[in-house]
Amino acid sequence: MLSRVADSLYWMSRYLERAEHTARLIAVKLESMIEQSREDADSSWLRVVAALSAEEYVPASPDAFAITQGLAFDRANPSSLLSSLGNARDNARQVREQLSTEVWGHLNRIYLRLQPVTAEDIWAHHPANSFREVMEELYTLGGVTYSTLSHGEGWYFLELGRHIERAQLTSRLLDLHFGASRSAVAEPPKYFDWLVLLKFCTAFEPYCKAYTAAIKPEKIAEFLLFDAEFPHSVRFSVDRVCDALLRVAPGAPPVRRAAVERLAGRLKASVDFTQIEDLMSGSIAPFLADITRQCEQIHDSVYASYIAYGAETVL
Amino acid sequence: MQHVGVAKQGSGVGVGPAARLGAPYGGYVLGAAYDEMFASDGTIRPHYAALGTRLATLSGEELNRRQQACELSFLHQGITFTVYSDKQATERIIPTDLLPRIVTAAEWARIEAGLKQRILALNHFLRDIYSDGRVLKDGVVPRSMIYGSKHYRREMRGLPVAHGAYVNVCGSDLVRREDGAFVVLEDNLRVPSGVSYMLANRDVVRRAFPNLFRAMGVKPIEHYPRELLATLRSLAPFQQDVSIAVLTPGVFNSAYFEHAFLARQMGVELVEGRDLLVNDNVVYARTTSGLKRIDVIYRRIDDDFIDSLIFREDSSLGVSGLFNAYRAGNVVIANALGTGVADDKAVYAYVPRLIRYYLSEEPILDNVETFLCREEKSRNHVLANLDRLVVKAVGESGGYGMLVGPHASKAEREAFAERLKADPENYIAQPTIQLSTAPTFVEGGVEARHVDLRPFILHGEGTVIVPGALTRVALKRGSLVVNSSQGGGSKDTWVLNN
Repeated sequence: MLSRVADSLYWMSRYLERAEHTARLIAVKLESMIEQSREDADSSWLRVVAALSAEEYVPASPDAFAITQGLAFDRANPSSLLSSLGNARDNARQVREQLSTEVWGHLNRIYLRLQPVTAEDIWAHHPANSFREVMEELYTLGGVTYSTLSHGEGWYFLELGRHIERAQLTSRLLDLHFGASRSAVAEPPKYFDWLVLLKFCTAFEPYCKAYTAAIKPEKIAEFLLFDAEFPHSVRFSVDRVCDALLRVAPGAPPVRRAAVERLAGRLKASVDFTQIEDLMSGSIAPFLADITRQCEQIHDSVYASYIAYGAETVL
Repeated sequence: MQHVGVAKQGSGVGVGPAARLGAPYGGYVLGAAYDEMFASDGTIRPHYAALGTRLATLSGEELNRRQQACELSFLHQGITFTVYSDKQATERIIPTDLLPRIVTAAEWARIEAGLKQRILALNHFLRDIYSDGRVLKDGVVPRSMIYGSKHYRREMRGLPVAHGAYVNVCGSDLVRREDGAFVVLEDNLRVPSGVSYMLANRDVVRRAFPNLFRAMGVKPIEHYPRELLATLRSLAPFQQDVSIAVLTPGVFNSAYFEHAFLARQMGVELVEGRDLLVNDNVVYARTTSGLKRIDVIYRRIDDDFIDSLIFREDSSLGVSGLFNAYRAGNVVIANALGTGVADDKAVYAYVPRLIRYYLSEEPILDNVETFLCREEKSRNHVLANLDRLVVKAVGESGGYGMLVGPHASKAEREAFAERLKADPENYIAQPTIQLSTAPTFVEGGVEARHVDLRPFILHGEGTVIVPGALTRVALKRGSLVVNSSQGGGSKDTWVLNN
C-alpha cells in the first residue's frame, strides 16, 4: 500500500472517530442538562469543552447554544464536529479509489447534509436529536465500511487510526473525571456526572450489566480502563491497535516492524498488568498521561517505519 | 428560424410527429444548424423516434424529477469541480443532461474508421518527426513549424517508443456541420480528459430511462477501463507482473475525480509525484512495506511538469529523474512526451495531408475547412473575408489572440489584418461553424442546444474505440461554447446497435 494512502486512511479514521465522539458528547450533554441545575449544567459543559478541544478553546459565551455552535459548527475551531467531518472527507477524497463506492458515498452524504446546518437551524426543535442522527449515521458508516471494504492492509490502517484516537479520547475524558484535570476546569464531578460520563462512552448499559446499577467512581474507572470486551474501554482499543499493527505493512523489513511492535507490546503490558487498586491511591493521573504518551509514540513510530521513512534508508 | 410545434400547426400540411408531441417542445427552435432529432421539416429522425414517443408520455414534472435524481447521484459520488470565489470554495457538479444524444450504427462506423485512420497517421507523424523527419525533408510540413513549436521535445529525438505508439489515449472533438457530416475540430493528444463523465453519464441516464435503453439497443461502453488497462499493458517491455500506476497532480486538479475513477476501475495504483522516486534510473513508489517498482505510468500531468530536472524547474507535481528512467527504457510513460506538437492548430490543418502521405488513403473524416495564412493563396482569401472567418493564433489557446470576424468591428478587423500580415505563419482561419443542436432538458421543457462529440481512442499494440463519447452541450440558448468552465454541460451518448 502506498504510504500516502495509508496516511490518508489512518487520518480519515481518526477524524471520523473524533467526529463520532464529538456528536455523542454534545447529544448526551444536551439531553442531560435538562435534569441538572444551572450551576451543575454549566460546570459539566465546561468539562465537555475541555474534552473536545485540543488547545484552549474558549467559546464565545458560556451558554449551551454558543458552546454547541462552537463545538459543532464552527469551522474556525479545528476540532469542531464539522471540521472533523470535513477533514475526514478530505482524506477520503485523497484515497477515493481505495474506498468502496458505498463508503465514500455514505461519508460524502453525511458531510453534505451537515455542512449547511447552523446551530440556529436545529435549536428550535430538539437539538440533541440532530446530534443523535449524525452519531447514528457515523455508526452506519462503520457498518458500511465493515461490510463493503476488504479487510486488508487499508482496513487495518483504519482500525489503527480509530483506536489510537479512541484510546486517547477516552483517556482524556477519564482524566477530566479522575485525574489531573479533575478540578482544573470545573467543579469536581457529582453523582449525576458519573452517569453522564458512562453515557459519553456509550457505557451505561454495559456497565450496569457488569457491575449492576450501583454507580461507584472506582468501578467506572475500572470498566472504562480495563474491561476487555467493551469497545470503548482503553484496553479494548489497545488490543485493537496491537492487532492492527500485526497486519499492516506486511512486507516491511523486520527491524522496522520490531520498533513498532515493541512499543505496542509495552502499551499492552501497561494496560494488561495494572489494577484499578494500584491507581486509586492517586496515581491515576500519571497513568493516564502515560497511556496518552505511549499512543503518541506508537503513532510516531508507525510514521517513521512505514509512512515517512527516508528513501535512502531502504535503497 | 422555425418554431417546430407552431410552424407545423400553421402550415396546413399534414400534422407531423413533432406537432403531435406538443408541450415539451414549446421552446424548441430549429435554426441554421443541423438538428440531431428533427429534420428541417420538423419530422423526427427515425433513430430518435423511440425517445420522442417516450418523452410524449412524461410530464415536465416527471422529467424534472429524473433530472434531479441524476444531479443528486453526481453530487453524492463526488463528481464535482471546485469553483473559487470570494474566499469561499464551492463544489459544483458538471451539469449533466437527462436526454441522451443518439448516434446511429452507420454514423458510428464512419466515425470509428475515420478516427482510427487519423490516430494512425498522427502516430506515424510523431515517430517521423522524432526520428528521420522524412515528412519535413519531403516538404509536406514546413520544418520551421515543427522545430519552432514550443511543444516539440528535443529530448524525445531518437528514443524508441513501444509499437511506435506515441499517443495512447486521444480525445478528438468532432462537430456536425450544417450538411450533417461529422468533421474533426481538434485532436487532443496530450492528456485528454472527460472519459469518466462518459461513463458516469451512462450510469445515471440508463437508470433514468431503463426501458427505453433496453428497447433501443445501445452499445455498451463499460469496458473502457479494461481496454485502457490492456492498452497500457501492451506498452510494457515484458508481460509478467507489470506494475501500472495512474499519475495525478492531486486532489486539487479539476479532473481528480477521473484519475481516481480510472485507477479504481482498472485496479491499479493512483500515485502523485510525491509518492514516486527515481533511483539508478528506476522508478519506485513509496509503500508501507518499502519501495515498489513501477513499470508503466499513465500520466495525467502535462509534459512541462513531469520532471523538474528536465522541464519546468518550479514544478513539484512530477518526479525528478523520471525522464532519465524513461530514456533508459526502465519505465513507460503514456502518452509519450512531446505529443503536443501534433495537436496545435497549424499541424491540425495538415492532418488530411499527413493521412495521404503516410497511409496513401483519402481522409474518411474531414477537417473543418482551415486556411493556413502562411500560404499566400489562403492568406489573400482570409484577408478578403475577415468579416466571415474566425482567425486564430497558432500557439495560443483558450480564446487568446483570436478574431471572431462576424462579431468584430471594422477597426478591430483592420488592426488584426496588420498583425496577420506581419506574422502570417502564426495564424490560421476557419469559417464560423454552426455546431449541430440536440434536444436538451432546460427549465421544465425540451429545447435545442448546440453539442459536440468527443470519442476516446486507445492506441497501443492495436487501436480500440469504445462505442460512445462525451457529448458536450452549450446549455445557454444560442451559445456555441461547450466548455464546462463557461456554462457547458454533458450528455450521455447512445451509439445504437443498428
